[in-house]
Amino acid sequence: MRKTGFFAVYVILVVAQLLLSNYFHITQYILLTILPVMVLCIPLKINTSLTMLIAFVTGLTVDLLSEGLLGLNALALVPVAFARKEMVRLIFGEELLARGEDFSVRRSGLGQVVLAMALAQALFLFIYIWADSAGTRPFWFNFVRFICSLPAGVLVSLLVVDTLAPDSRK
Amino acid sequence: MRNGNSWIQRLVAIAIFILLEIASLNMLRRNAPLQRMWVARAAHGFMGSIWGSSQRIGDYFALKRINAGLAEENAELRRENAQLQDIIHQAKVDTMRYGISRVKGFTYVPCEIRKISRNKQHNYMILDKGREDGIQENSGVITRNGVVGIVESVSEHYCYALSLQNTDISVSARIGEEGATGLLSWDGYSSNGASLREIPLQYKFEKGDTVYTSGHSLVFPPDIPLGVAGDSRVVNGQVNEIKVTLFQDFTALRYVTVAFNNAKKEVEGLAK
Repeated sequence: MRKTGFFAVYVILVVAQLLLSNYFHITQYILLTILPVMVLCIPLKINTSLTMLIAFVTGLTVDLLSEGLLGLNALALVPVAFARKEMVRLIFGEELLARGEDFSVRRSGLGQVVLAMALAQALFLFIYIWADSAGTRPFWFNFVRFICSLPAGVLVSLLVVDTLAPDSRK
Repeated sequence: MRNGNSWIQRLVAIAIFILLEIASLNMLRRNAPLQRMWVARAAHGFMGSIWGSSQRIGDYFALKRINAGLAEENAELRRENAQLQDIIHQAKVDTMRYGISRVKGFTYVPCEIRKISRNKQHNYMILDKGREDGIQENSGVITRNGVVGIVESVSEHYCYALSLQNTDISVSARIGEEGATGLLSWDGYSSNGASLREIPLQYKFEKGDTVYTSGHSLVFPPDIPLGVAGDSRVVNGQVNEIKVTLFQDFTALRYVTVAFNNAKKEVEGLAK
């Protein structure tokens, strides 16, 4: 996918995230977000610093336009961008980075992609829930929230991953 | 070169990451009271640990200076200790002089033992004071723990005394505050053992009674505690002989006092 096409889809998904944040309150234990997978799918040719800036602006936009706390999504999303290349290297191997290619479900397999999404989601949720509770909620509440939100977030992310990281050989 | 660029990029990425996280936290802090307290608490904890660590590092590097100070202080304390030891030494001599109850008619001269024998049947001691210091023959040698000997001969600067651990001498002693008097002499083998002989059978005493100098001999002041009465036996069906454990340990003897009875000649003159 060309960069302009990717960012058009990216912006649309930000809007989708705003809708999720503002209208899909299933329960307090489930936090639905596709932001980690969006950051994970930013083309690997874009360096970490720029990815972090994109993640920061994305998080801030969602914070500003949704009912959340300003800075919370940005706080949790920037570490995902910072650790993105390491996560890709860990799960998909060095070869993908060396070739400068992006991962996709068809090329890397659903298992690896789900694992990468779960890792990114877990990192995001850990920081988000930790900062959101600000030390005022009990551990069990945060833990249940994390456990419930992780699979839900991965499932929602699965719906958008193929849009953001399509297989170029299709 | 490429490797160098990679490192720079990583450092830049880390710097940007820190900046963005701080910016996020700052926004969070400004917009939510709970998060403000949380961030403040975390920041205080972080700063506390940083200050603590820097303090520990500073303390570590200050050790050399502190060690030098301690070494100097040690040297000063050693000097003070040496001075105090001198003062204590002098005080011991003074204690010997003033620690013993003074009896009217006696002159007391503190002395230090120059030589002492302990492993013979006829033990003796040489003291560092002589005629020039007022020592006279037949003076008593005492400590605060009892009697230790009798001066036998005197030179200008030294005197020779027979030790109580000498089978040739005996001291007039009394058992109890107002008990019978007898002769106390060394038992001949132990470092603090003695026998109180010639106690008439009619006088009652108890094991554990204190034995004092009687003052009848004119050599020693009266009422100096000598030891504690132990087992007794009847000798020849006429008198008691009592074992006495002396207060004075002769193995730890260094400072003594020579007591001279000023009225001795006068009393002896009357007896003639």
